[in-house]
Amino acid sequence: MAIPVIETKDLTKSFGDNKVLKGISMKVMPKEVIAIIGASGSGKSTLLRCINRLNEPDSGDILFEGNSIIGKDIDIDMVRSQMTMVFQSFNLFMHLTARKNISLPLRQVKKLSKEEADKLAMEALEKVGLIEKADAYPGEMSGGQQQRVAIARAFAMHPKVLLFDEPTSALDPQLIGEVLEVMKKLADMGMTMVVVTHEISFAKDVADHVIFIDQGLILEEGPPKDMLINPKNERTRQFLKRVLQEENLPPLPQ
Amino acid sequence: MDVKELKEQIKAHKSVLSKIALVVIIIIAFYVMLQQPVNNNYIGGGGTFGWIDAAQTTVFISIISIVVGFSIGIVVGLARISRNIIINGIATVYVEILRGTPLLIQIFFIYYSLTPLMGLGGGLESATISAILALSINSGAYQAEIIRGGIQSIPRGQLEAARSSGMTYLQAMRHVILPQAFRLIIPPMTNEYVTVIKDSSLAYAIGVMEITWFSTRVVVWDFEPITTYLFVALIYFTLTTFTSNIMRFVEQRFRIPGYMVGE
Repeated sequence: MAIPVIETKDLTKSFGDNKVLKGISMKVMPKEVIAIIGASGSGKSTLLRCINRLNEPDSGDILFEGNSIIGKDIDIDMVRSQMTMVFQSFNLFMHLTARKNISLPLRQVKKLSKEEADKLAMEALEKVGLIEKADAYPGEMSGGQQQRVAIARAFAMHPKVLLFDEPTSALDPQLIGEVLEVMKKLADMGMTMVVVTHEISFAKDVADHVIFIDQGLILEEGPPKDMLINPKNERTRQFLKRVLQEENLPPLPQ
Repeated sequence: MDVKELKEQIKAHKSVLSKIALVVIIIIAFYVMLQQPVNNNYIGGGGTFGWIDAAQTTVFISIISIVVGFSIGIVVGLARISRNIIINGIATVYVEILRGTPLLIQIFFIYYSLTPLMGLGGGLESATISAILALSINSGAYQAEIIRGGIQSIPRGQLEAARSSGMTYLQAMRHVILPQAFRLIIPPMTNEYVTVIKDSSLAYAIGVMEITWFSTRVVVWDFEPITTYLFVALIYFTLTTFTSNIMRFVEQRFRIPGYMVGE
């Protein structure tokens, strides 16, 4: 049996008195796309940020390809370069062009030459369909374009897994499609992905496995067909009903 | 489109007008400067010493203090955001003391205490060194705060994005945070540099032969205080306006397209 790319064991995290994660155990297998859904404040973003230790978990363990990455002697920068992240607010480096946004980590972390890094950056931009924006600054691009560059920056590192933290939540509705399309393309290419999302239809179409988090615990998980169409848990059902209603708002009366 | 063009025209017009005004002021200043006789008796003893020599001293003290202050500012500014309690504590105490006491007292203190320790006599050379030292460490405290503020006003997501791609803290600082902070701090730094130029006048109190000191000599000799001090003000104004124009050029040169373009 294959080793999970990521495995968390009984992960907990509190901010002050607020217990955000109350013991999360999950596995991400190679080439698998995992969608993590749940209401705002359920802890799903914190879970993602604990996986690459942007937030330090309080207890529990995280295994990356079978090895624990918790502890002082772990080279966390090395681990992070193999599980890169896409953020809700894009977080492109504002002072750099699209191409340099992608080539900077390649040069600094992977120690590539300028030519190699630029070549990989252009290839990545081509994959997200933004080659003509190579010399544009983030401030000169739309939100959707910025997020596609951010995705290109993340996968240009050739990570073992890509982490997405609500990648479409900060976008205007008409820009969400182009970003989801790029993500679907990556999934089709066999990329391992963990996606925290509110896009139930994306989870339904692309994910292999859906995890529903509620109040810091995994309440229900399974293949999208079971999870999203016939949820067993009452809270899951309520959540899905509410989100789907928001997604298919009735047309305004004339 | 029309409105945009009009706005640009007005903008170009304004900047031309301000440039003309500046040049006129500078010409007047230099005209007046050349009218002043260079009188040996102003400073006593032999040799000649005039406004230009005094202005050179002011410029020299100011430039060295700004540059040394900037180096201090980067180190202390980074120390101020350090999580290390000792480093942070030392930096905080440094800033609080230098910011919380008068610069004139700092100049006296250094002149009378530190220069004898460094084996310098009480002469002109040690006065100039004391003035530069005091201005540098004083400006260093202010520049440290400006740099700290600049770094802290960069959104946290920038650091997180850099760290999440595997960059170390130092790499993220060097390539992501500082280049952006550098652009943000240009306006407050302009203020600080203008302040240093004006504060260099306090060096007159320990006998450094800069413009203010020289003007007091001229007043004693000619007894035309109003004209003389007006002229001194003009020289300072020329220096500070020149500085703020250089900084404005730097700001435009390093502007990021589509970012921080508040008009």
